[in-house]
Amino acid sequence: MDLTLIVVLVIALALFFDFTNGFHDTANAMATPIATGALRPKVAVGIAAILNLVGAFLSTEVARTISGGIIKEGDGGVLITPQLIFAGLIGAIVWNMITWLLGLPSSSSHALFGGLIGAALVGFGVQAVDFSVVLSKVVLPAILAPLTAGLIAYTATKLAYAITRRHDGKPDGRDGFRHGQIFSSSLVALAHGTNDAQKTMGIITLTLISVGLQPVGSGPEFWVIVLCAVAIALGTYMGGWRIIKTLGTGLTDVKPAQGFAAETSTAATILASTNLGFALSTTQVASGSVIGSGMGRRGSTVRWRTAGRIGVGWLLTLPAAGIVGALAALVASLGPAGIIIDMIIGVVVISGIFLWSRRSEVTPSNVVSEVADSGSAVNIEQNPTPIKKGAP
Amino acid sequence: MIDWLAFLLVLGSALLATVIVVITYSLGIRLLTVSGRTPIVTPAEFTDAIAVVTPAEAKAAVKRAAKAAKKSPLTDGQKRVALFGARACFALSGLAALVGIYLIVPVLHGLV
Repeated sequence: MDLTLIVVLVIALALFFDFTNGFHDTANAMATPIATGALRPKVAVGIAAILNLVGAFLSTEVARTISGGIIKEGDGGVLITPQLIFAGLIGAIVWNMITWLLGLPSSSSHALFGGLIGAALVGFGVQAVDFSVVLSKVVLPAILAPLTAGLIAYTATKLAYAITRRHDGKPDGRDGFRHGQIFSSSLVALAHGTNDAQKTMGIITLTLISVGLQPVGSGPEFWVIVLCAVAIALGTYMGGWRIIKTLGTGLTDVKPAQGFAAETSTAATILASTNLGFALSTTQVASGSVIGSGMGRRGSTVRWRTAGRIGVGWLLTLPAAGIVGALAALVASLGPAGIIIDMIIGVVVISGIFLWSRRSEVTPSNVVSEVADSGSAVNIEQNPTPIKKGAP
Repeated sequence: MIDWLAFLLVLGSALLATVIVVITYSLGIRLLTVSGRTPIVTPAEFTDAIAVVTPAEAKAAVKRAAKAAKKSPLTDGQKRVALFGARACFALSGLAALVGIYLIVPVLHGLV
């Protein structure tokens, strides 16, 4: 198969993945402000799209992690081929599609890493993958980031409620957090752009490096950044329209003060990690924050079954996408015919996504994001009355 | 090799940033309420996630806030100080967020 053709194919597929990533993740930033009524859904989606676009330009640390670390390319390493990246992307997209259909919580980022790692393992064997980089930059952040975000959101919620609490029953002004939410959720959308759009940039850069169009270890080209930014912004906007159409199907109970605390901690965690080049899942961080902030409200108890189900979904994504990626790589290793078979599978899956998204029937499992879903992991009593410390 | 220091750095800096933003913003709201200008912000659009606030209820909330403000034991001067404090807190909160963005965008570092 022609070298340039496969490069173009990979770039197109990567951009499509970027689009689905935005499509899938609009709700990460905008589930809480929509739930508390801080923003009109249409406005929220517009803001999310624009800030994702802007965010994509702000930092390229994560892109470098992907293009320059996980798979050993260059001297002493292996020469990853566009065919394998192609297989990895197919793995990621297919797994994303499956989880989406089943309403399983999953992370686009981990699907991507899993797919790539699976493909590399089939193509070159164990020595192709730098497992220490995978462990330190992907797996551990995956486990630690939601916990971090949850802990921070818990603290922040406690603080926000404590500072605004009034024991005399007079109005406490917590409505005012709705205004704050406009800014905090915007920050989350921006952070999403800085982290998630980078992943696709990293993949495209990796492809260009693999065919020698770019020197090993260099960062993403400007046109790559522009394309990825536009793709994720478009995806965000389109995904948002779907959410708007289907609102009212069970977002969880989030109060403005809680939403503000959750969004601030999500944004801070993502931005801090982006800065150090950790490619974490924004979905998981946002979910961690929603759970943490729910626990920070008085009268809350955790529904461990729901929380556990979400956790298992997170852990499954990486290996499962890896298996799909490995299968795709096996097929691709048959030569041009294999690539064509992979492509056909890809096209079927992509049109499947399209058709599914146009279905009129809507259930909470396919509409509500994992973030909103994770809110149900915390059970909160309705408005417990404030009790003054020391009162009888 | 696992860079535990980097994780601690992420935890520490994210916690610090969040706490600063949340404390200043919450204090701002508290002071705003103290100054007699309790923010009443009705939801922009109703989803099933929130208790619906009817126009009448919103009006009642405004009335309640006004009544509470009238009963406030603070003098006008004290209220002005509180209002100034509230605005300063909101400004600080916004500034903290902007500094955070500045810190993570390498391109900006050359400009300032």
